[in-house]
Amino acid sequence: MKMIVSAGLLAVAAHAGAAEFRLPAFETTKLPNGLTVYLMERHEAPIIAVRTVVKAGSVNDGSQPGLATLTADATLLGSTQHSKADIDKAFDFRGAMLAASGSAEQLTLDADFAREDAAELMPLLAEMVVSPSFDAAELAKLQKRRLIGLSQAKEAPRNVVKAYYNSMLFGSSPYAIPERGTIASMTALRQQDVQGFHQRYYRPDNAAIVVVGDFKTADMKARIASLYANWRATGPAPKTQDNGKVNADKARVWLVNKPDAIETTFMIGGPGIARNDPDYVPLQVLNTVMGGRFTSWLNDELRVNSGLTYGARSEFATLSQTGVFGISSFTALPNTKPALELALKTYNRLWDKGIHAATLESAKAYVKGQYPPRFETSSQLASLLGDMFVSNVGREQIDNFMRDVDALTPARAKALAERHFPRKNLQMVLIGKADAIRPIAAAYGEVTELDINADGFGPVAK
Amino acid sequence: MKWKVLAASIMLGAASLAQAAVSADARSFTLPNGMKFIVLESRAIPNANMYTFWKVGSRNEQPGTTGLSHFFEHMMFNGSKKYGPKMFDSTLEAKGGSNNAYTSNDVTVYQDWFPAASLETVFALESDRIGHLSIDPKLVESERGVVLSERSTGLENSNIRLLSQEVSGVAFQAHPYSWPVIGHESDIKAWTQDDLVSFFKTYYAPNNAVAVIVGDVKFDEVKRLATRYFAAIPKRALPPKVRTVEPPQTGERRLFVTKASATSPNLMVAYKTPQANHPDYYALEVLQSILAEGKTSRLYQALVEQQLATSVGASGSDGFDPGLFAVYAVAADQVTPARLEQALLAEVARVSKDGVTEEELQKVKNQKLVNLYRQLETINGKAQNIGWYETFFGDYRKLDEVPANFKKLTRADIQAVAAKYLVKSQRTVGVLAAKEPE
Repeated sequence: MKMIVSAGLLAVAAHAGAAEFRLPAFETTKLPNGLTVYLMERHEAPIIAVRTVVKAGSVNDGSQPGLATLTADATLLGSTQHSKADIDKAFDFRGAMLAASGSAEQLTLDADFAREDAAELMPLLAEMVVSPSFDAAELAKLQKRRLIGLSQAKEAPRNVVKAYYNSMLFGSSPYAIPERGTIASMTALRQQDVQGFHQRYYRPDNAAIVVVGDFKTADMKARIASLYANWRATGPAPKTQDNGKVNADKARVWLVNKPDAIETTFMIGGPGIARNDPDYVPLQVLNTVMGGRFTSWLNDELRVNSGLTYGARSEFATLSQTGVFGISSFTALPNTKPALELALKTYNRLWDKGIHAATLESAKAYVKGQYPPRFETSSQLASLLGDMFVSNVGREQIDNFMRDVDALTPARAKALAERHFPRKNLQMVLIGKADAIRPIAAAYGEVTELDINADGFGPVAK
Repeated sequence: MKWKVLAASIMLGAASLAQAAVSADARSFTLPNGMKFIVLESRAIPNANMYTFWKVGSRNEQPGTTGLSHFFEHMMFNGSKKYGPKMFDSTLEAKGGSNNAYTSNDVTVYQDWFPAASLETVFALESDRIGHLSIDPKLVESERGVVLSERSTGLENSNIRLLSQEVSGVAFQAHPYSWPVIGHESDIKAWTQDDLVSFFKTYYAPNNAVAVIVGDVKFDEVKRLATRYFAAIPKRALPPKVRTVEPPQTGERRLFVTKASATSPNLMVAYKTPQANHPDYYALEVLQSILAEGKTSRLYQALVEQQLATSVGASGSDGFDPGLFAVYAVAADQVTPARLEQALLAEVARVSKDGVTEEELQKVKNQKLVNLYRQLETINGKAQNIGWYETFFGDYRKLDEVPANFKKLTRADIQAVAAKYLVKSQRTVGVLAAKEPE
């Protein structure tokens, strides 16, 4: 492959040229039990995508990291009416996709299938969400796979660098909780923990069903109303909680030792922005300049000009209450120092030299031009609507995207750079051979050493 | 459950979709210099893409120049006559476009994604580098570092990639499929300027490429611009054919890879199978899915559900020359490579011995067709499929035959290919783990 840089976080944009790009029409309704329903008809292909999204995630794990995402995965283990084998067979036989996933603030169940199969598969999706069995034997198997998965993830630094970074930035607050948990926390989880989590958070007034694809809205609305009519919330609704802010009171380095590493994987940055921040759209453009495309400053310097790495990028990873900014790359062990120095020097151009008007115009054209293919399929659109539900984003952010991008001037770009890109007390995670890079790490802040083979993503309690 | 009725409805849907999307709408033309263009107008989004398939990959290399086709994929972005170093990317991005490229054993494919209004810019950029690439020695040096980093990060972060590379090296003793597409480290460090110049002249002739343009464009306009920008690039002699034929394998081969950070053993079993355009291709595709696609697949049921493995997978042979059909698994906790291998081979043998069920076969046919839906839902999926069928099957219209080719397969066909190809003498067994067993 030529490169690995991709502007994966560009959730919204519009296409270059004059034509508007607006979110296709969709209908939002709320059932009497509080369930939000989004319906978007599209008839380009005979496929229907269904996304169930629950407003909960690892931030709700408390002292049981991994519980939320385990619960999400466990909805695939069968319902009180159908076994896991029945469900797997029903979906697999029809060539349907079925997947569950979880992150810090949302838990999802996704499916897509041929239009003709809606009548057979949609009731099963409803059962999995409303009345999962959490079968003990199946849950034990899933838990065991998750445990091994946690060990295997650490074989590849790129899989875990973000977990260390979030742990470092958010300390003891809910946003620091590793989404997949730790070996100790996953081992301790029991069936009743999963059942309890499901009861607390999987409730109609805390969830949405998004259906996008080849159907008639009136028919689908009736089908959803019928399938989810008996879903009832019990007990008080979950309360909004404070999930924490980035702690960057001093420059810090977490040096994660991986003795057999042949390269150093790194991430550098600090606090970012929330998903519904009013500056979200223009910051996507600024990040495109910094590290969001192939000709970004970071990729240009670290890859193209110096050949130090195969790819360098940056991103504002947004959450509902806040977010983080991070520069990430990797380099051969002997190049660690030059790569870190160059990354920081390049980052400082933002303040030292600022963004040239022509560069800004190019980035604006780029984010607009790359937008429409992000919402080409029914699954992509279902995912967008689900994100909008969880992060309280209105359709105006999508529909006004082009206007907001076009409105970005060099002066405003400068002001936004000053305001949002973390400049002081940078936080750094280095995963590599500690014996070789220890002296380099010390130059960038207070060093804490970790062992990649130790459980979890933070320093081991003494 | 009404399996059969549903299956029928799925099949009709996919067939009609494929025809509507490709044969009815796609049109092609060939310039006098032999460069072929296939155009599919598609108006769902105001964007378009251009995929250029070049018939050059690692199979066209020799010892000493391994990895050169992939390296060239990088060099094609490093400057040409009108657009100097870095200008390809900066020009395209300023017009709202982006690009990427990939290299396989058989082909190198360049992909441009852009607002449809930027088509002419894309043609100007592509034609300039095809016709007038400049190969600057300074840029060659920095790009070497990039490729070495790409190579090392792949080996650092992917056990399967490392194992797969070693398995191919043992499975093929003569044919160029034996070396990794990215090349050997020593070769990456050693390519000369002459190697690069000669490689470009040999393989980047317009008559060795097919370009696919899909999106919100008009056929006549594409033809007009293609003529304007590409017609002047001279036709050249076609590249030399790959002469080496892999000699028949005469017995099982085995290998072990040590990687200290591996937390559990990885197993790969690869069988020799024919090239993509062989009549057995579709039956082998189905066999691959029966073994490893989805939670009801044979290997998932026998290995993952039985807690012998945490994941399973399979990959098929789809090149110009006979290749490998590989199945792989990552061991669960406390499961030895030998036990995992025994269970995996038992499942493979069961297909040859007892065949597959009618329901299993129908399931995979359904999966193949819904997957085709999904692929043809995007302009990228359309371009990739059109280019792939044109390159490996000689005609993009063969894409329309896909539903029928799957539909006609019988249980006996699947059992026959399993019995013919998935045999001990044709397999290479590779294990990757932290320590070699004593």
